[in-house]
Amino acid sequence: MLPLGEPWNALVPKGGLRRGSTIVVQAPPGLGGLSLALSLVTEASTKGHWAGVVGVDDPGVVAIAELGIDLRRVLFVPRPRGAWAECAADLLDGVDLLVVRPPSRAAHGAARNLMERVRERGTVLIALCEPGAPWPLPADLSFNITQAEWATSSRLDARYLTVRIGGRGEAARVGEHLVVLPNRKGRAAAR
Amino acid sequence: MEAPDGSTLRDYLALLDALSVLCPFTEPVRLGLYALPIRGPGRFFGGEEAVLDAVAHTVRDAVGHEPSLGIADGLFCAEIAARERVLVAPGMTDSFRRAQPLGALGRKDLVTTCRRLGLHTVGSFADLERARVAERFNTHALVLHRVARGELSELATQRDQKLGQRLARLRGEGERRDEQVGFFGGRGAGDDRAQEAAHRVRRRLGASAVVVASLRGGRVPEDRATLVPWGSPAGNARDSAPWPGRLRAPSPAMTLQHRVVVQLRDAADKAVVMGSRGFLSADPTTLLFSSQVRRDVVWHAGPWPSLERWWGSSRRRAHLQLVLGSGEAVLVVCESRHWWLVGIYD
Repeated sequence: MLPLGEPWNALVPKGGLRRGSTIVVQAPPGLGGLSLALSLVTEASTKGHWAGVVGVDDPGVVAIAELGIDLRRVLFVPRPRGAWAECAADLLDGVDLLVVRPPSRAAHGAARNLMERVRERGTVLIALCEPGAPWPLPADLSFNITQAEWATSSRLDARYLTVRIGGRGEAARVGEHLVVLPNRKGRAAAR
Repeated sequence: MEAPDGSTLRDYLALLDALSVLCPFTEPVRLGLYALPIRGPGRFFGGEEAVLDAVAHTVRDAVGHEPSLGIADGLFCAEIAARERVLVAPGMTDSFRRAQPLGALGRKDLVTTCRRLGLHTVGSFADLERARVAERFNTHALVLHRVARGELSELATQRDQKLGQRLARLRGEGERRDEQVGFFGGRGAGDDRAQEAAHRVRRRLGASAVVVASLRGGRVPEDRATLVPWGSPAGNARDSAPWPGRLRAPSPAMTLQHRVVVQLRDAADKAVVMGSRGFLSADPTTLLFSSQVRRDVVWHAGPWPSLERWWGSSRRRAHLQLVLGSGEAVLVVCESRHWWLVGIYD
């Protein structure tokens, strides 16, 4: 298991990410999907695990650091062009968690190969998708952002995300949760 | 008087943090003195006096006694205004400064000499011709003369030059100190595996396909992020907190490497422009991309001008946070009369 930080450790079965599993984060563009996917990496990163980020064109480095991720152990492939699945496969052997944002709808075959490889290597795959281009296969664990609302004062303070968590097996108990991401410190938090 | 146990500095830092929540551009001037660009936050709190109320409230909460507050243009006049608890209206700073006794300039020798010439106020000293000042006084007086004329907005002695460093040191002590390691420093098996994986991607896509990130000092997210191809020599850029006027967390999860030109329109569909004094010409209601895609703006915060702009001048930028109708938040910046999209709070 790879560790999860707050608030996720209280919301998912066994409080962590099972090695070899595939996690899908689905959100409309710009509504917190990227922050959510990255926040799943935070705790493992602080424990010394390596992470890869494929297909995120313009990573907000400051925000990633604010989440608590150790930048010294993150490899970015911002623009894999057509080869996102191949790049992801290349990186799988070298990192413990891999965040992938396919530039378009992921093909069935590519997704299946990648998930098989993830199972073999014991990596954790976090696929970030939009509702219009969903991940083509069922995930072990899924996070669906259904609503995002900003709390503001004289600036952007915090964002409240309504997240449906579901999946296979133990994770099948669907739950809807309200989490704060990012909060005033840029981190994920329970409400 | 500063307490020997360092509590004065700690208290000062705590209040600085509290005030920065109110206004991200709160500046530490010296122990006991802070400066805030009032015209930025003024908009949100409903006018300058409302800001003063908010500041007074914050100070009372933090230190338990009433602060001495004032408003004027420039640090020299602002400090006097604060001491005398007066609000100098926009455009009145000049006469306010001229009416001050010469002692305000802080040099007794100048006061003595001027009194013999029958000069008692800052204004009467300002009226002396520069050549006459140069001939009768020392070089210090020439600088003071410029302050008296309003050509310089502050006295060199007003700021504690070492304060920033001391605050940084104090802040650093509270945080976990990482030993500075190379990118693959303190190597373990995981580091070797990661290195091999990065090599594979590079063979596939080219040398600059894999990048690593680090932070350096800066005020806004797009200045602070460094992305360099993996394997290039590590820069010596370090993120040395505190950076005055830093845009506070949360930061946008996407920071555009190539910023995108956009337009802001008001309710009458006229372009929203930044005035020279840090005001917006109108509240933005529409964000317009060059593709003619229009998005409703339902909320905005800022503009937060670059700090240099307030007490001097250099690169002029002002950042604005927007929330769009569909719930996304974005960061835009105004520079050289154009608006640019620089970040998305994905």
